[in-house]
Amino acid sequence: MGLKAVQYINQFYAGVGGETMADTPFTVISEKKGPAAGLEPLFKGEMTITKVVYCGDNYVNTDENWPGIQEQIRKVIEEEKPDVFLAGPAFNAGRYGVACAKVCDFVRRELGVPSLTGMWWENPAVGMYVKDNYIISTPETATGMRKALPVMAALALKLAKGEEIGPARVEGYLETGHRNNAYVAKSGAERVVDMVVAKLYGKPYQTEVPHRGFEQVPPAPPVRDISRAKIALFTTGGLVPVGNPDKIKQAFAVSYGVYDMTGLDALKKGEFESIHGGYDTTFVSNDPHRLVPMDVVKDCVEEGVIGQLYPFFGSTCGVGTNVASGQKMGADWAKRLKDAGVTAAILTST
Amino acid sequence: MMMDMKLTRQYYDVKDVVFGEKCAFAHGVLTVNEEELVALTKHLFKAVTGFHLEITKPGENARIVHVLDAVQPMVKVEGESQQYPGFFSTPYTAGRGVTNLYRGFSVIESAALPWDSANASSGLLYPRDAIIELSGFAAGYTPFAGMHNLVIVYELGEGFSSIEYDDAIRLIAMKISAYLAELTRGLTPDDSEQFSLDEEHPELPGVVMVWQCQNQGPYSNTLLYGLPIDNLFPTVLHPNEMLDGCVVSGNYVWPAFKVPTYCHVNHPVLLELYRRHGKDLNFKGVIFSRSHEPSNWHKQRSASQNVKLAQMLGAKGLVMVWTGGGNACTDGMLTIQTAEQHGIRASTLTFEFGGKDGTEGLLLVDDVPEADAVCSGGSIERPITLPAVDRAVGGDTFRLNKESGGWFPPATGEVTIGTRTHMYMGGNQCAYSKMTCVAY
Repeated sequence: MGLKAVQYINQFYAGVGGETMADTPFTVISEKKGPAAGLEPLFKGEMTITKVVYCGDNYVNTDENWPGIQEQIRKVIEEEKPDVFLAGPAFNAGRYGVACAKVCDFVRRELGVPSLTGMWWENPAVGMYVKDNYIISTPETATGMRKALPVMAALALKLAKGEEIGPARVEGYLETGHRNNAYVAKSGAERVVDMVVAKLYGKPYQTEVPHRGFEQVPPAPPVRDISRAKIALFTTGGLVPVGNPDKIKQAFAVSYGVYDMTGLDALKKGEFESIHGGYDTTFVSNDPHRLVPMDVVKDCVEEGVIGQLYPFFGSTCGVGTNVASGQKMGADWAKRLKDAGVTAAILTST
Repeated sequence: MMMDMKLTRQYYDVKDVVFGEKCAFAHGVLTVNEEELVALTKHLFKAVTGFHLEITKPGENARIVHVLDAVQPMVKVEGESQQYPGFFSTPYTAGRGVTNLYRGFSVIESAALPWDSANASSGLLYPRDAIIELSGFAAGYTPFAGMHNLVIVYELGEGFSSIEYDDAIRLIAMKISAYLAELTRGLTPDDSEQFSLDEEHPELPGVVMVWQCQNQGPYSNTLLYGLPIDNLFPTVLHPNEMLDGCVVSGNYVWPAFKVPTYCHVNHPVLLELYRRHGKDLNFKGVIFSRSHEPSNWHKQRSASQNVKLAQMLGAKGLVMVWTGGGNACTDGMLTIQTAEQHGIRASTLTFEFGGKDGTEGLLLVDDVPEADAVCSGGSIERPITLPAVDRAVGGDTFRLNKESGGWFPPATGEVTIGTRTHMYMGGNQCAYSKMTCVAY
C-alpha cells in the first residue's frame, strides 16, 4: 500500500478567491488543487495526497477560530492516517506562512504526524516556528513554485518513510538552529584557508557559524536620589563562602548563590573565596571586597551618601555562561530585588 | 621576502617504539631506555622528583589523562640557533638550516599537578584534566591518536610553586625529545621538505596568519623564544621560526582551548598556507600577538597593530586563529573587524557554544558584523560519553570538577562529561581536526 499525505493550502490556491474570500472557513476536499496537483506527480507513485484542506488566511489567523480548526484537522488526520502532513509552500506571504507553520506545528506536536512546509526565509513565520519544524527554503514569490516543489517532494517522502533527515544544507530546509558535532572531509585549516581565498577571489563562501545577534540592553535610568536608595550587590566574579556550598559551576554556570551579609563587618579572607574559572582569583580571595564592595557601600551608608545596603549579595561565575542561562538568572534576581524594595543594584564583573 | 630564510625539515618515520637496553633509532624503530633518560635529566629534578615512561600505539584502545603538553621531538642539525630556541640555547633566530624531526611520534607530558591553592594557583589558573582518546569518536580531536607516543608520567615533590613545576616538566620533556631526535643525526631521512618564502608570487593575493596566544599567568601561558609573552606588542614571525619551535605551549588550564607545542611547531593553518603558497595565495608570514588583553584599550591596540603589520607585509587576506576561550574571542573579533575596515579580508575558525543541541543562546562569545567567514571547530557544549578502555596512561583516575570538591572516577571506565572542555584540543583552536558543527 502506498504512502499517504494530507496537504494544507489557502483559499487562493484552492481556487475559492483572493482577499475577498480570506474569511473562508476550514474545508476538506479530495480534489488536488493548486500545489497538490504539482506535488503528487513528483512522488512518482510512492505517495498519494488523499485530502486537501484549506482555510481563508484571515479565518485561520483569527484566534477564536483556532480551537475549531484544530478539531477539524484532528478529525481529518484520524480518518486519513497520513504518513506526512504538508502545507504551502507559502513563499513570502505572511498570513499564509504563519497558517502553514502553525498547522504543521500542531499536527507534528499534537497528532504525532511528521509535517513539512515551505517558504521564503524572511517570512515572519520562520522566526516563530523554524526551531521545531521543517520548512523548506523557497524563492520569494510563487513564480518559484517549480523550484520549490521538487525539494519539498523529496523531503516529504523521506519524512513519510521515517528516514533519517540530513543537514539543512543537504535537504534544502531552513536551518532550525539545531547543530550537531560531526567530522567532515576537510580539516579546519583547509576550510579556513579556503574561505579567505574565496573572499579574496570574490567567489561564494558561506560562514559555518551564523550570527545570532546580541540583544542591546538599554541602560537603566539614573537613580534619582541615591541618599534614599536601597542598593544591592551582585557579582559575576564567583565570590562564594569557602567550600562553595551551592556548588555553583566555575564556568558554564546555570545558577547563582545568594549570601547573607547581615551582621558582618567585612567579607573576610578565608570565609569567602572566588571560584571563578576565567581569571586569576588570588587578589579577590585575599580581599573579597575587591569584588563585592560591601566595605565601601557600608561607609557610604554611614556617611549618609547611600540610603541602605540590601543585606544579601548575589554571585555567579560569568565565564562561558549561556545567554539564556544569564537571562534566567537575571530575571530571577531582579524579581527578588523588586520584592525586597531594592531601588538600585551594582553589578561587578571581572 | 628575500632573507636567506630556508629551512629543510628531514623526516624520520617512526614505525614502532619499544623499551630496550639503550636508546637507539634504526629501521624506523625507536628504542627507549628509561634509566638513560632519567640520568640525562636528573639535574633538573627538584619540583619533579622522578618519572616513568609509557608507550602508546596508534589507535590503541586507551586514553592518556592529566596531559600537560605534547612535544614534537626534533633537533637542529645544521644552521644557526636550535630547536625550541631559547630554552637550552642562545635565542638566535631559528628557521634556517636543517632540522631533523620524527614523524608519527610525539613526547607527551602527563602530571597530576597539585590543586591546592597554596602551591598551585587559583580560579582560572589550575590545571584541569586534559584527556586524549586514542580510539573511538573523540580520537579525531588530536593528531596523537594516530601516532606513537612516549608519555612521561611525572612524580612531583610537595610545596613548590606552579612556576617551578611548570619549568621542570617542560625542560625535562624538551631534553628527552632532543636527545631522542639526536639519534637521527647522520641517518638518511624518509622524506624531506624545504620551507622558504623567498620565491614571491606578487600576482597572487598576500595572506598572513595571525596567531594570537594565551597569556594569563603560570599554567596559562605561551612562551616565545623561551619567555612568557607578558605584555607582548604584536610582532612578525617568519613561519620557519615556528616550524623550529620558537613558540612553545605553557597552557594547562582549559584543555579544549589549548594548543600543544606539537601543533605550534606543526601548525595546521601555517602548513596549509605554505602548501598553497604560489598556488592560489602568496604567504606573507605570521603575526604573533597575545590574547586575553586585559581591557578594551589593550585589545584595540593589539588588533590595530595586527592589521598594521599585515598591511606592512602587503597582505590582502588574513586568517585569524587564537588559543584560549572567551576573552580571546573578543581580541580575535576586533582584529577581524579592524582588518575588514582596512580592506583586508579575514576568515577565522573557533569553537562554538549553543547548549545541548545548538539551539540555546548565542554560538560565539563575541562576534562582529565583519566576521562573515567563520569556520566552526565544533561545539564544546555537547555532553560527551567516553567509553571504557583497556588502558589509561598517566593516572588511575580522572581529576574532574575541582570547584565542587572533585570527582575522581576510574580512568579506564566509561564517563559522561557535561561539556567537552576536558577534551585535549576539543575546541579545535589550531584548526587541526575535521570536527565541525553541522546545521540541521
